[in-house]
Amino acid sequence: MPDVRQLSPAAVTPIGVSARLGTAVLALLVIGTVLLAPFLLDTYMLNILIRAFFVAIAAVTVDIMWGYCGTLTFGQSAFFGIGVYALAIVFTEFGFGTWQILFALAAAIIVSGVVAALTGWLSFYPGSTPLYASIVSLVVPIVLVQVLYSGGTFTGSSSGLVGFETFDLSLESWFRVAGLGLASVAAVALVLMQSDTGRLLKALRDNDERCSYLGINTSRYRIIVLVLTAIVAALAGFGYAAFGGVAAPENASFTFGTRLIVMVALGGRGTIIGAIVGALSIEVASAYLSGSLPYVWELIIGIALIAVILAFPDGLVGVIHKLTRGVQQPRTVPATRLCPIAVSAAVDGGSDIAIEVRELGRHFGSLSVLDGVEFTARRAELLSLVGPNGAGKTTLIRCLSDGRERSTGFVAIAGQPIDRLPPDRIVRFGLGRKFQAASFFETLTVAECLRVARTHRARPSLTSTSKVLELPVAAISLLEQSGLADRLGEEARKLSHGLKQALELAMVLSLEPEVLLLDEPTAGLTRAERQGFADILTTLASRARLCILLVEHDLDFVREISSRIIVLHQGKIALDGSVDEVVNSALVREIYTGQQYTASKVGP
Amino acid sequence: MLTLILDTVTTAALLFIISSGLLIVFGVMKIINFAHAAFVTVGGYAALVGSRLGLPWALVLPLAFVTGAVCGAVTEATIVRWLYRRPLDAILATWGLGIVIGQIITLIFGREVQFVQAPITGTVGLLGVDYSAYRIVMIAAAIMVAVVFTALLSGTRLGLTTRAVIMNEMLAQGLGVDSSRVRLVTFAIGSGLAALSGALITPLSSVDPNMGLPWLISAFMLVMVSGGSLFALAASCVVLGGVQVIVSTFVNPILGGLTIAICAAIVLRIRPEGFARA
Repeated sequence: MPDVRQLSPAAVTPIGVSARLGTAVLALLVIGTVLLAPFLLDTYMLNILIRAFFVAIAAVTVDIMWGYCGTLTFGQSAFFGIGVYALAIVFTEFGFGTWQILFALAAAIIVSGVVAALTGWLSFYPGSTPLYASIVSLVVPIVLVQVLYSGGTFTGSSSGLVGFETFDLSLESWFRVAGLGLASVAAVALVLMQSDTGRLLKALRDNDERCSYLGINTSRYRIIVLVLTAIVAALAGFGYAAFGGVAAPENASFTFGTRLIVMVALGGRGTIIGAIVGALSIEVASAYLSGSLPYVWELIIGIALIAVILAFPDGLVGVIHKLTRGVQQPRTVPATRLCPIAVSAAVDGGSDIAIEVRELGRHFGSLSVLDGVEFTARRAELLSLVGPNGAGKTTLIRCLSDGRERSTGFVAIAGQPIDRLPPDRIVRFGLGRKFQAASFFETLTVAECLRVARTHRARPSLTSTSKVLELPVAAISLLEQSGLADRLGEEARKLSHGLKQALELAMVLSLEPEVLLLDEPTAGLTRAERQGFADILTTLASRARLCILLVEHDLDFVREISSRIIVLHQGKIALDGSVDEVVNSALVREIYTGQQYTASKVGP
Repeated sequence: MLTLILDTVTTAALLFIISSGLLIVFGVMKIINFAHAAFVTVGGYAALVGSRLGLPWALVLPLAFVTGAVCGAVTEATIVRWLYRRPLDAILATWGLGIVIGQIITLIFGREVQFVQAPITGTVGLLGVDYSAYRIVMIAAAIMVAVVFTALLSGTRLGLTTRAVIMNEMLAQGLGVDSSRVRLVTFAIGSGLAALSGALITPLSSVDPNMGLPWLISAFMLVMVSGGSLFALAASCVVLGGVQVIVSTFVNPILGGLTIAICAAIVLRIRPEGFARA
């Protein structure tokens, strides 16, 4: 037993905190432990740990899906099971040999990949919720186990497959293979999750909607991650069956899937180390306890799960981090350098019309929120959309930025019809949308948020964190003006309300949009911040020739900056004209002051 | 043919009774209660205890409901209350609770399968077909659940506040509705319904510590497909229950057990709003 503990302190030391030297020492330590441990452990313990290593690999994949991407998945056990059965079926049917090994490996990879792609297609689409994806992931192992049950002698039905010939390795060799396998999976996962790509995954977890409005096809990313983690889990299952020489339906079951989640939850989600610690400790403890106290052990697991979720959502690793926080230095974020880039000049010669809307309607049953809305907006125009609450302003913005929102009518952005396209495609036409309530990525730093916004222009690195952040001039000047440029390393959620708004606008400007939709960008800002916003917007319209559509309540603000105003009233365009025409019109006075049209005529 | 129709209707009735408790919890709280299966099991064992004590069924059913409701109220107050902002964690915590309940039941009653005598046995002749009388009673039970449910929601003050919380919780709170009380009561009723359904299905199946599980996935998927509306839930139960009966009868029962989950997943992929606005 004391030898097991040797593993844990080394494993718990957070990787990536210190410099490369620390990482190298740690890697050597892990490899050394894995190579030497077989001499110190008894056979029973070795047996348990080898299995635990393979299970831990599956737990790491659960952690990536759940802790990093935000999808609670019960389905990884199914992919593990596919790996187990690929080996067992091939070796049972065709015997043991080189081509059989390769064939079984290929089967494990291909079948798990295809099933994962199918599951991903069912779980992730524009508009699906994390809750729903969770339920679908639950269906996968249940279906698979039923298929295994009804497979007759081919799958061994409920008793599984045993007695096939498999690799003839000593226990010590198995320990090293499994241990190094786990160590390399952990290392790859750590590097990936610390890289810019890993940060993009966290952005998906934090705010899926913002991601799609940054032109990122979130469903595609989630499906890719699912397929990759499924293949890794299948390979872990392959190793598990190769060592154990047994395939049982339990290896693919939903119970095992939830067990994997329990491991990650107890160890600490969102940290690779946490998943490994959780998996190893539960596997070892259950090997010793489940025999002597079967029901009580399950009971303890259940109680521990509830306690951890309620009291320590970050698991064991989180608790250790909290206890040692005084000792450790805070994580130093590598300084990011801003680098201005020239925006590719808007394609000239094309039409000057940036937004075209014809016969737009939005109905909920018999209720019409928008009806027969028609207008066009040109480049370099700063168009304000005003109207009382409930006039349909935000709905109109939504209909312009999401092709599935409108009930009837035609919308084109920068000359391209948006059809029924999801937001990420429309963003690629040159649309940028800022939400009413600042929408950004809570746990990312300012620089990381901006980098996610650049995803479609600069493919994020898989292995490293870039130190240079290339942004369009407009975004940089906004960052400098607002003071965000000096706070690039700060976590976004800790910013003030005004800075959050500025950050989101800077993210949207980083898209290099041609059309900018802003929903009440100045709500809750101070007078000074508001003036700053006004200056930025007018510059963008006049210099960068952006078409800006602004929803705003504050008529003074609107009057100051707009080149044109549209008044929306009860879902219809009531007025569309120059600032003077609109502001002085009787209708606007009536809507805003409640005075009757006729009464205002008689008034002074 | 007639047997097929009766099978469909009675299966739909069973599914409806079991998923209605899940639906009301999902509708009000937007969380999926993974302990639902455990509450179904609790109801099954309540029926077992009740019938061993020689209680009449008219008392066994309320006993099951009350047992479930008490368990639900305790769960809400100790666990679920803290997790409304973390719906995925609520899934996990309730799943953990499911494990705990299952193991406690195992410790008390043992693992073995036990049986409860049905209050009504034998068959009835219906249009020339002999059909299990107890299954017919299920139809009446489902209709009663639906009627009581609707009456509660539309006819009482509690129902009014509940509907207000479902539609717009912030606004309801602003208007002085104690939404945490609404949630407590809702969760208790949902769990009570789960236990009631457990008691009702025991004469048809058997009682064991995992008896609720096989129903869980179908119930989840039906609730997701119905999108929170009771009427849509009834419709989905009939349609998907019918498909299940057909597949079980003509293809094979194992595949039949998966029909609802698979069909619902595909329906939701093609039509994300489900049957809610069909």
